[in-house]
Amino acid sequence: MAKTATDLPAEAPASRSRAADLFELSKPASPDLHLIRSEVGFHLLLPNGNRLFDLDVQTFETLEAALAGSDAVPVQRLLNNLGLDMAPLVNDEPLKDPPVRALSLAVAQKCNLGCAYCYAQQGEFGGLAKSMPLSTALESVDLLFRDATPGERVNLSFLGGEPLMNRRAIHAATTRAMELSEQKGVPVTFSITTNGTLIKPGDGEFFEEHGFAVTVSIDGPQPVHDLLRSTKGGRGSFDTVIANVTPLLAAQRRMQVSARVTVTPHNLGLKRTLDEFVGMRFHSVGFSPMLSSPSGRYELGASELKLMLEQMVACGEEFERHIESGQRYPFANMVNAMREIHTGTHRPYPCGAGAGYLGVSAEGELAACHRFVGDEKGAMGDVATGVDRQRQATWLAERHVHRQEPCNECWARYMCSGGCHHEVIRRGRPACEYIRGWLHYCLQAYCRLLASRPDYFGMGKAVTTGTAEPQPRRD
Amino acid sequence: MKKIDPKNLSAQLHYRAAGNPPSTLPDSAISNCFPGLEFDFRNIWHHIFDGIELHEADNYVVRAQAEHEKLVGRRLVRVAGQATMKQAIGPQAPGGRPVLLTSGSNPGGAWTMEWSNLLATVLHEHAGQKVRCEFTKDKAPLPVWVSDDPSNPEDPKVETETVELTVRPLFAQSEALQNRLAVIEEHMAEAGELTESLCSPWQNDYRECACYYWAASRPDYVNVEPNEQGLSQGNMWLAVHREPKEYIPDNGRDTRLVTYEDLFRDWQGKLKFIVGGKDSD
Repeated sequence: MAKTATDLPAEAPASRSRAADLFELSKPASPDLHLIRSEVGFHLLLPNGNRLFDLDVQTFETLEAALAGSDAVPVQRLLNNLGLDMAPLVNDEPLKDPPVRALSLAVAQKCNLGCAYCYAQQGEFGGLAKSMPLSTALESVDLLFRDATPGERVNLSFLGGEPLMNRRAIHAATTRAMELSEQKGVPVTFSITTNGTLIKPGDGEFFEEHGFAVTVSIDGPQPVHDLLRSTKGGRGSFDTVIANVTPLLAAQRRMQVSARVTVTPHNLGLKRTLDEFVGMRFHSVGFSPMLSSPSGRYELGASELKLMLEQMVACGEEFERHIESGQRYPFANMVNAMREIHTGTHRPYPCGAGAGYLGVSAEGELAACHRFVGDEKGAMGDVATGVDRQRQATWLAERHVHRQEPCNECWARYMCSGGCHHEVIRRGRPACEYIRGWLHYCLQAYCRLLASRPDYFGMGKAVTTGTAEPQPRRD
Repeated sequence: MKKIDPKNLSAQLHYRAAGNPPSTLPDSAISNCFPGLEFDFRNIWHHIFDGIELHEADNYVVRAQAEHEKLVGRRLVRVAGQATMKQAIGPQAPGGRPVLLTSGSNPGGAWTMEWSNLLATVLHEHAGQKVRCEFTKDKAPLPVWVSDDPSNPEDPKVETETVELTVRPLFAQSEALQNRLAVIEEHMAEAGELTESLCSPWQNDYRECACYYWAASRPDYVNVEPNEQGLSQGNMWLAVHREPKEYIPDNGRDTRLVTYEDLFRDWQGKLKFIVGGKDSD
């Protein structure tokens, strides 16, 4: 198993790579602004509100000089002169007593696979294998709906371990959630993250009936997937996963079946993986870098993150080509980035963990998220007594991005918002360069696409004449 | 000339172009929109049905594309089975019994309902689709009364013609967001159309509104001083002459006050800057 080679193509990028350029271009020069050049012009990102502007070249160069420190006029005064300064949209106040809006149930704290990088330590979170009793699952659903008022939305997700090792709890909780949704006028959505090996024919119908978002963990083409995601006995799982998932992919109407690829040093050939999975008609395909594993095994180091960025950009360029010609291309990282940049989403937390979103352990303890199950650092009370508001307040105060270093100096702080709490608490922030480089590329891509395909963003007519007609959307 | 062009939604939302006042931002705008100070929202309804142009506050067809030319001058009396009007009922004189309020120019007492409320359901359920639109068969310069239910024996027998028209989506759709935007779809208004009917209401409102109501951020009582009895004396802000110092109540006719016409024609000549509560020179 001690394979060290990656699955990258032989013609892997040479020394001065696109990634190196992006690292350089995205270095944090000021917490107040970030400058971006692209083929379509000169752009300014203001982190306060993640507002994005086009500038004329003189204004751009004036700001550039101010950043380089060669101009006497400080950045803040320049922004003021340009009429772009504004009271901060994100203040230091932590979120207070957020209502529960999403729960993930660790219905099975056990797994048939033995992936070495698993945050749940092969499913058992460092303890004994457990299954969530039905009563705990139902009690969790009650908690989810307890304070929801009509029209508010809630989400119920099932994780593990491998959640399909406890199908009964999934069915019971889903049924209860449907009843409460009907009674209270609170729409509910369902999701499940599975390794795909235990899916049975009836599961697809069940997921379809309830419109599940099904995320299948799958790490690439067979050789690398089997290397990374084998059974505890060491047998590869790729063929089983594909055999199980193929009928689901064909059946998806209400349900959406997506692929989630955990990127390790062994499966850095992202472009090939993306093409293969898009070809299989996954609803979307997303990549997450492995930054923190319990044993340290399979974590990405600096040089591998550089290779990953190189590959992510190659995937992003494929996305751009498709959108340019009016075609759908379900590369989730890029779809999400375009949405968030277009909206100008700016937030003090990277996700809802410990806030509106909590994990529930098989024994009914509440945790900051599915990754903190059984971990004292993220303990948040239990389903019987409810959220421990004191612990939650401490968490929200400490996890606010204004309390993170070196985030306060970074232009990307309201986009990345400090990164995954679990990874940061375990390993720190080894991927800042990668994240900034990726965001810099995404900002450039956004500027290009907004210029050529404003219709993709709902902002007018396409400027270019693509050769292909827009494809009907499948979702 | 500096070019600063806000690109994404948050930049657009918070952007104030050089020279524009704070009220051009959504969060500090006056947002009285009927007809409005920043824009006249009613104009959005001109183009809600593909192929015809409606009056912004009446069910009258103002213009139409060639294929619907015959509808010009007629009235849209029902949409998806729902009448576009109600009858006004009330006393003709104070203390009188409620009666149908008719007049020579409105013999049926029919009043077109405000479009945004009337069409909310139609937009919600039929945006982008065809919907049944019933028009008067003949041209109808005056309002015409029909009810929701043509089979109702009390429904006046008005001859109508049904045309299926497409309801245009009001909001822009974003594939990137996989959702609609809080942005009016571009085809709903020509450049300048949302402001064309504003004419010059501000002089009226500036004169009429008092006590720091939003339309008139100005003092009502100026050059104020204490008199010998310890009471205040000063000028009504519109007083043409500042002596004697007395407050002249505005009855809309008193010639000692600046008139509406004065304001329309020469507001900048008739009004003074008030600095620290007193006339500046």
